[in-house]
Amino acid sequence: MGDEHSVAHAVEVEGVVKSFGHLRALDGVRLRVRRGEVFGLLGPNGSGKTTLIRCLVGLVEPDAGRVTVLGRRLPDLGVLSRVGYMTQAPALYPDLSVSENLRFFAAISGGRHDLDEALEFVELADRRDSVVATLSGGMRTRASLACAIVHRPELLLLDEPTVGVDPQLRAQLWNRFREMTATGTTIVVSSHVMDEAARCDRLGLIRFGRLLAEGTVTDLLARASTDSLEDAFLKLAEGAPQ
Amino acid sequence: MSASRLLAITRRLLQQFRRDRRTLALLFVVPVVILGLFYFLLRGGGPHPAVGVVDLDQGPLGSAVAHQLEASTVVGASQMDESTAVERLKDGRLAGYVVLPADFSTAASSSGVVRPQIYLEGSQPSQSGPVVQATNQALAGAASAILVAAGGRSAHVDPSLTYLYGGASLDTLDYLGGAFVGLVVFFLVFVITCVAFLRERSQGTLERLMASPLRRGEIVLGYTLGFILVALAQAAEVLLFALLVLRIHNAGNVLLIFGIETLLALSAVNLGIFLSMFARSEFQAVQFIPLVVVPQVLLSGIIFPVVSEPGWLQGVSNVLPLTYAANGLRDVMLKGADLTWHSVQLDVAVVFAFAAAAMVAAAATLRRHVA
Repeated sequence: MGDEHSVAHAVEVEGVVKSFGHLRALDGVRLRVRRGEVFGLLGPNGSGKTTLIRCLVGLVEPDAGRVTVLGRRLPDLGVLSRVGYMTQAPALYPDLSVSENLRFFAAISGGRHDLDEALEFVELADRRDSVVATLSGGMRTRASLACAIVHRPELLLLDEPTVGVDPQLRAQLWNRFREMTATGTTIVVSSHVMDEAARCDRLGLIRFGRLLAEGTVTDLLARASTDSLEDAFLKLAEGAPQ
Repeated sequence: MSASRLLAITRRLLQQFRRDRRTLALLFVVPVVILGLFYFLLRGGGPHPAVGVVDLDQGPLGSAVAHQLEASTVVGASQMDESTAVERLKDGRLAGYVVLPADFSTAASSSGVVRPQIYLEGSQPSQSGPVVQATNQALAGAASAILVAAGGRSAHVDPSLTYLYGGASLDTLDYLGGAFVGLVVFFLVFVITCVAFLRERSQGTLERLMASPLRRGEIVLGYTLGFILVALAQAAEVLLFALLVLRIHNAGNVLLIFGIETLLALSAVNLGIFLSMFARSEFQAVQFIPLVVVPQVLLSGIIFPVVSEPGWLQGVSNVLPLTYAANGLRDVMLKGADLTWHSVQLDVAVVFAFAAAAMVAAAATLRRHVA
């Protein structure tokens, strides 16, 4: 299945369309994410970010178009062992301890895993035996991230990972994401927070299920002739058909 | 107290009910269905218990009593020879038979004793009672014939009762206990599985499972294995409590009872997973209890014998897994049945088939896609 593009790109989305009843959540999205980069999906609530990320893990089946992840065209269960996925709200078993959750998600994901490494990475080693229900919201977010990376995925999909997270933890998380890309992991992260988007290598601006623009922050600012990412988004959105 | 605030709460509740059709159905349809079932079970005009009348009497008294029995409104009696009656009692087609012995008339005239012999199948008290009642009524109806046979003296009526299974030493709990053992396991395992699987969805972990390389069959089998281990411990506890503490009568093999309980638990786990797909909240999952469990309790023969139901209702009973499990458990515990019995083979096969079908249905309805 691998081709030239697949080698260079961790994610390829070609003309993906998805409707829920009358609502067109994704409308011919075309997107390529390079290996080893942090790609940000930036858009307001309801713009199609979560649907697109769910398409990348096979949770949403497109009505039309093609999704290729790590060189494998979806649906493909096998490739999911190389993908990490962190949902918007921490998806953990509240009555299990942190390490029990980690061990479970590592087992179902397959591949190599190191619980201690994942716990150190999210700075939860000292709470490994704590039952998740007793953790603070921030700790649960970190535990959820640990569950998403415990099997050392090549591609990490993060659906608004920093929603409801305090600035200090947000900065910590972004440092962790950077550390991961330094070891070759590709990250696709959705957000509607502009200052967070500026931390990404490249961005895709998404609205009404359409990808309005794609490029580095510098590219997008230049294209919109502005020095604010927020203004750039608004200008590019204005020019796009609704 | 503010009337407007109070009314705001009331209005909001009514608005929520209006949008929740399932709860409305539970409130207004389920009571009618359940009461309707009670009507058909208690007054539905189902067939009366079948009774054989074996008239061996050389004199006239036997035929007088036999005619009275055949005219009974509480049982469906018909005359037959003794070997047919024995055969039908054993295969469950008769609730009992009454033998009017060869010396029935002569005993009445010589010693003033009228002694019919009543043979009861015995595993269903609600079927045995009418047989005895009908015999007593027949004897009362034949009072003038008895008077003549006894030469004008008042005769002493002394029926003898013989039970094929069970007997006078058993109480209601002995009769219902076997089926209750199965019911308790089925009910609790079903509710716990249904809610647990739903929680998997509501806490978002099902989405994480579906985004992993796990196959749907692996999820269902994994759940089944996990819950079966717990259900087996529960089944063992229920069985030991029933047999050792409550001293419920058991004439059969304990391992066979345990095996039937296990199959029932397997059915309950997979039915729970399957039905959890149709609930969006734990509240809705709990609503399955009156919909799934109550009709099974009423129609599976645990309390009301299936044979006493109207024909169309028997059709419903015959597709319920609990009917077969309750029948199997009762056969084993009351009759000492084992796997060589065709009825037990059928019961075990049907419960197993239901468990397998529920597992396939659960795996098939478990959607990988969240939308």
